[in-house]
Amino acid sequence: MNTAVLQVEDLRAYFRTRYFGVKREVRAVDGVTFEVRADEIYGLAGESSSGKTTLVKAIAGLVKPPLQLVDGAARFSFLPGVRTLATASPDVVRAVRWSRLSYIMQGSMSVLNPLRRIRSTFDDFARDHIAGSAAEFERAVLSHLGKVRLDSSVLDAYPHELSGGMRQRVTIALATICNPQFVIADEPTTALDVIVQREVLGMIRQLQQEIGSSVLFVTHDLGVHAALTDRLGIMYGGRLVEEAPTAQLLREPRHPYTRHLIASLPRIGTQERRDGLPGGPPNLADPATGCRFHPRCPIAMDVCRTVAPDLRPSGDDHRVACHAEGAGP
Amino acid sequence: MWRIFKDLLKHNGEFRAGALLISIVVAMAALSFISPYAPDVSYVVAPDVPPNASNWLGTTSRGQDVFWQLTFAIRNTLLFGLLVALLSRLVALMVGLLAGYCGGWVDRVLMSVNDTFNVIPLFPLLILFYFVLRDRMSTPLLAVLMASLGWAYDARLIRSIAMSLKSREFTATGIFSGMTAREILLEQHLPYIMPIVFSTALNNMNWSIGLQVTLAVLGFMDIETPTIGSMIYWANQHTAIVAGIWWWIAFPVALVVMTFVGLFLLAVSMNEYIDPRSRLAGMEGASQ
Amino acid sequence: MTALLRLDNVSQTFNRGGLLSGQRIDAVKNVSFALAEDRSEIFALIGESGAGKTTLSRMVLGMQRPSSGTLEFEGRAIPTAPGAARRNFMAKVQPIFQNPFEAFNPLKKIDRFLFLTAQRFGGAARGAAADLAVDAALERVGLSLAEIRGRFPHELSGGQLQRVAIARALVSKPHLIVADEPVSMVDASLRMSIVNLFARLRDEMRISIIYITHDLATAYTISDRLLIMQNGAVVEAGDARAVLSAPKHPYSRALRDAVLTLDSIGLFAAKRTSNRVTEDRDVK
Repeated sequence: MNTAVLQVEDLRAYFRTRYFGVKREVRAVDGVTFEVRADEIYGLAGESSSGKTTLVKAIAGLVKPPLQLVDGAARFSFLPGVRTLATASPDVVRAVRWSRLSYIMQGSMSVLNPLRRIRSTFDDFARDHIAGSAAEFERAVLSHLGKVRLDSSVLDAYPHELSGGMRQRVTIALATICNPQFVIADEPTTALDVIVQREVLGMIRQLQQEIGSSVLFVTHDLGVHAALTDRLGIMYGGRLVEEAPTAQLLREPRHPYTRHLIASLPRIGTQERRDGLPGGPPNLADPATGCRFHPRCPIAMDVCRTVAPDLRPSGDDHRVACHAEGAGP
Repeated sequence: MWRIFKDLLKHNGEFRAGALLISIVVAMAALSFISPYAPDVSYVVAPDVPPNASNWLGTTSRGQDVFWQLTFAIRNTLLFGLLVALLSRLVALMVGLLAGYCGGWVDRVLMSVNDTFNVIPLFPLLILFYFVLRDRMSTPLLAVLMASLGWAYDARLIRSIAMSLKSREFTATGIFSGMTAREILLEQHLPYIMPIVFSTALNNMNWSIGLQVTLAVLGFMDIETPTIGSMIYWANQHTAIVAGIWWWIAFPVALVVMTFVGLFLLAVSMNEYIDPRSRLAGMEGASQ
Repeated sequence: MTALLRLDNVSQTFNRGGLLSGQRIDAVKNVSFALAEDRSEIFALIGESGAGKTTLSRMVLGMQRPSSGTLEFEGRAIPTAPGAARRNFMAKVQPIFQNPFEAFNPLKKIDRFLFLTAQRFGGAARGAAADLAVDAALERVGLSLAEIRGRFPHELSGGQLQRVAIARALVSKPHLIVADEPVSMVDASLRMSIVNLFARLRDEMRISIIYITHDLATAYTISDRLLIMQNGAVVEAGDARAVLSAPKHPYSRALRDAVLTLDSIGLFAAKRTSNRVTEDRDVK
């Protein structure tokens, strides 16, 4: 049985702002529970106002006002006793960052210092975590860059001299060079060309297999999830509404939102008419009572307006938060 | 607009402090209208009397009541600053908006002119004007002069904002909705520019008042109309500090420092409001 | 027979750098195509970023002059200088931009643009006539004036705002709409309602649409013909379904193969019999 590397329990993170006397509370993450197992890529999907970006920030410990961690935990197996990274001491976080836990973010430029050569950036990030002489370190870096199909010429370059795709590959190399146990990837390929994206996704899987790390992969693009992830969680209105192994979820979605989302996506090869979802994304500052999806749900019942459904098992490794889908076979 | 001031007053300590200081200064200026003494007469009270019950801030060596002189002085100085700020904002706005929005040769010509004005050494030029105009150099004329020299830096600031606004998509939407260039500049772009105009106006006031005080202290100005600078000039002429008449210098200086600090605090505290993003967040908060 | 829009060997070159070290960038190279006048169609321009699509759209909208080549709308050269010809042109050719939140001024109410378009290009007088014209346009996109009046951009969702932008473009009853990545910043679940709207505009209002996108799936669904661009040049053109089902040019093939849809399940699946290669690195 795969043990969990990350266990998220009823995590709640709200944006609390006070501008010129007007108080506002945006419930970006409102009670999320899931786990990421060893040696798997767990995908997190959702649209605007789903809360997935905030969830990732909360898990990674990047919680700054006006964002506040209100409740819950996000425990890593390699940090026993630490409830969330945001509340841990800076020493603990520093010891873990980049050696056990690393990030691949959407903008490569948020990680790569535009004023330093790539070699120096590698030095800054990884030198402390890898034993050996300077020569051995450089060898290790080069061999790792080879895994993302970059050669030594990249080391002497500045970030702006590389293309977007190459920069993102450098970011991936940086994130994986210390063989981390957990990698958080937040829309890492969204800004890339389709052709480059395909290459980069292949590299992510390859590295993940070689190192055996777990990856939390966040993107709104269901096509990417279909191709890459092992299990998939769908977020809506700050909550997890469905979760299952990817192939299973995409072939037999059980939550009305997932069903409609999948039905509305166009594919090449068929001109069959598809319709978008009615209504608009939920307002997290003033969320609907009960189930967050009920204003747009075609099968909404009375109970949906008042009681928020729990995420309950429904089939093999499949969880659904919907009153219409009870716990089933 | 009013709501913003109320909000700032409630929540921003710097704004409160600045507003308080400026209120005192403006109150002093307003009192000049009920002054029992005319501003240009001298030897109406006993000279060199320290602050007491009937002469609250003492009297000068020229036989004037310091308090009532000060009310005129600060009124004239403030009006001067306001006039310079207003005139120079108008020029800076026109030049900046036109250069930023039109681009091309209009931009190049305007910026060449702008940069020329930027590098002109102000002080020697003003002194030169004084020597040429002598007694005909009145305060309003000086205001016009300084306004025509003090717009260049801020025009560039406004131009850069106008340039970035031009490339934003809502400008194109405006064009394809049939808006004329003037409508786009005044209706769509101005709300982004006004906050900068306002805050640079406050800085501009500080600058012009400071320069005017300097000129007056040195005597390069009309010294009969009381201004802060002229009060200090006369005090120096009568060697007030050496003679021990400290109140003649101290109170004008204190009042003008209060003005500077007050204007500065106002400008700084409005910066939070100036950033359109914080304003948007305020709007979003209010509407939900 | 005059075409609705004809491009003939259009090129655009930008010069970067100073006097001594200039750099010529060919953003658009020799692009030619024509849209027929007698039937409305959706014409897709497909390419990745840097392919030249946006530069091309700016030239079609008359916001930029080509370095060489000609662009003609309804038989006449596209006017770029302000004047009566340009105003007539703008009434007939309207844009839709990628970012719905940027298409409107965040600090101003959105109905202002709607009413202005009605007055300046829609021939409506102020007041009731303008209200009617705006309401009619909003109804076409599934909204109403009552919902939109007095609202600011941040009060609506991306999907709604984009529909308001389309309504604004419809007010002047244009012949051609140039839509630059109109759904790429809209939620996936709302995308199809806008894409279907485009199809309805073509069929019911007989408006031709130039649909610029990098998303092959939506292009396949609604476009009639398409053009694939790479680095400013056209690599393949033709009937939409034909080209995307069986692309001939290697770049088109690579593009089509790289698209990930729900049919791509398991493309990068874990191989269970993996040789775990973790290099012997002392991790502190």
